[in-house]
Amino acid sequence: MKQSQFVKLNQSRWQNFEDLCSSDNKQALPANFGQLYRQICNDLAIARSRHYSPSLIDKLNVFVATGQKHLYQGEKASMTSLYSLFKQNFMASLYLNRYYLWIALLAFYGLALVVYLWVLISPDAVYHFLDVQSLNQIEQMYDPAGKVQQDERGADSNVLMFGVYIYNNIGIAFQMFGGGALFGFGALLPLLFNSFYFGAVSAHIVHLGYQETFFSFVITHGSFELTAIAVAGAAGCKIGFNLLNPGQYSRGFAVKQAGKAVLPLIVGAFIMLMLAAVIEAFWSPLDIPNIFKYVVGTLCWLYVIRIFYRGTRYGH
Amino acid sequence: MQNSKLDNKLFIKLPEGVSVNLLPAGIAIRTCAYLYDFAIRLALMLILSLCFKFLGTAGEGLILISFFLISWGYYIIFEAKTGTTPGKKKFHLQVIQDNGLPASLSQIITRNLLRPADAFPFAYCLGIFTMAFNKHFKRIGDWASGTMVVHVKVANKEYDFTEQQAYVPQFQLSTEEQQVVIAFAERAPELSEPRQAELANILQKQLAEKDVHAAEKLKKMARFYIGQGI
Repeated sequence: MKQSQFVKLNQSRWQNFEDLCSSDNKQALPANFGQLYRQICNDLAIARSRHYSPSLIDKLNVFVATGQKHLYQGEKASMTSLYSLFKQNFMASLYLNRYYLWIALLAFYGLALVVYLWVLISPDAVYHFLDVQSLNQIEQMYDPAGKVQQDERGADSNVLMFGVYIYNNIGIAFQMFGGGALFGFGALLPLLFNSFYFGAVSAHIVHLGYQETFFSFVITHGSFELTAIAVAGAAGCKIGFNLLNPGQYSRGFAVKQAGKAVLPLIVGAFIMLMLAAVIEAFWSPLDIPNIFKYVVGTLCWLYVIRIFYRGTRYGH
Repeated sequence: MQNSKLDNKLFIKLPEGVSVNLLPAGIAIRTCAYLYDFAIRLALMLILSLCFKFLGTAGEGLILISFFLISWGYYIIFEAKTGTTPGKKKFHLQVIQDNGLPASLSQIITRNLLRPADAFPFAYCLGIFTMAFNKHFKRIGDWASGTMVVHVKVANKEYDFTEQQAYVPQFQLSTEEQQVVIAFAERAPELSEPRQAELANILQKQLAEKDVHAAEKLKKMARFYIGQGI
């Protein structure tokens, strides 16, 4: 069959298919769309095997490409599907990535504890980790007689701090996840840095005797925030490690698998950090007796520990 | 012709038994799209920070939140909805899965959260480096999520042969040679007349014509091969 005959025979069917696939078509696709699509596929195969002209093959190729997008279109993205990704897969991925999580949590809290004890024993060691200027700032923040603690904090500065926490903390977590692809260094270095920083600052505050204002402030949101940083670090490290050690897969495939496996973790870290930002901005600075903060903080810690214990042990 | 090594077209096998061809987008055009998106993001941030500036201290917090949303959310939100961003759309690019289907939400998130790795140490150096070394032009984020960026092709108009009469050649050509003649006729509107003549002159001995006449004769031959005007 000559090309022009072939075109004449099928022209109206192609036109019909093109109209169905066009973005102007707001109606639902007909029930026999799959059949129409397979006919187009057939036409493309025939056109290729009969060596019809390149422009006709190109045209049919575009039909097939747009047709398959309509036929096999995936889930429509929305916040609810993002949340269900977290809800359905977070616990399971805690279990699947448990070694990375244990190591990251151990490295984070363990090294923080080591630095904490070190600075507690020899207070001058704090200058290994922080410079004088930022130490002064921190001292002013938690000084019970200082300006920051004495002044009433208004609602608008709460919103400001909320913005700072969102921008900084979640930004750091995402950077760690992304930086993990650099053979894990981009995740590991910020993880260690934050761990040292946290340990050194806490010990320094205790050394100054401001622990009451400090711990009552950090205990509640710390549960989610610190753990989320460790989780983001674990997620980044897994991508980096799979890149270094792909095992029996190709490097590209191993990284792809790792990306899929750790995605619920980073979504989980995002949600934990959002929660922490709300707590840190609106609950932690409240002017109420510290005993309430300690009780709520302890409950939050117990909740986080329960989630992680169940997740890494049983996966649900 | 289908599997020529001249270009970087990909042939992806479909379950329907045919393969569909896709054209991955290269570094230059993706940089243009990125810069376009960057300009939009910058403008958005400027407008929002001007608006929130009047809200005082709370406004500063809102500015930071909107900075966070724009810098991390811009790509995710747009690509999750349609597979393109305004910049990509302008240059007719689209994000798809390796198998040619629209990318899923989780893939979009992964590929965009990995931007820090591609941006290392500055100005997407590592990403460009990675793209240069594979034929799919994938950056690190694309590797990890199993996506790639391709040109969206618009079905071009078929060349209308009806103006010319068919010419029945006095010699035999193989199928591939006939295809070359047809491709020449289809591409002719994109070529200048001297270039057409130059190409047609390669066959001047066989056609017994020169320059413009040879080109015209070739187009008429194409019409014969395609089956019109017989």
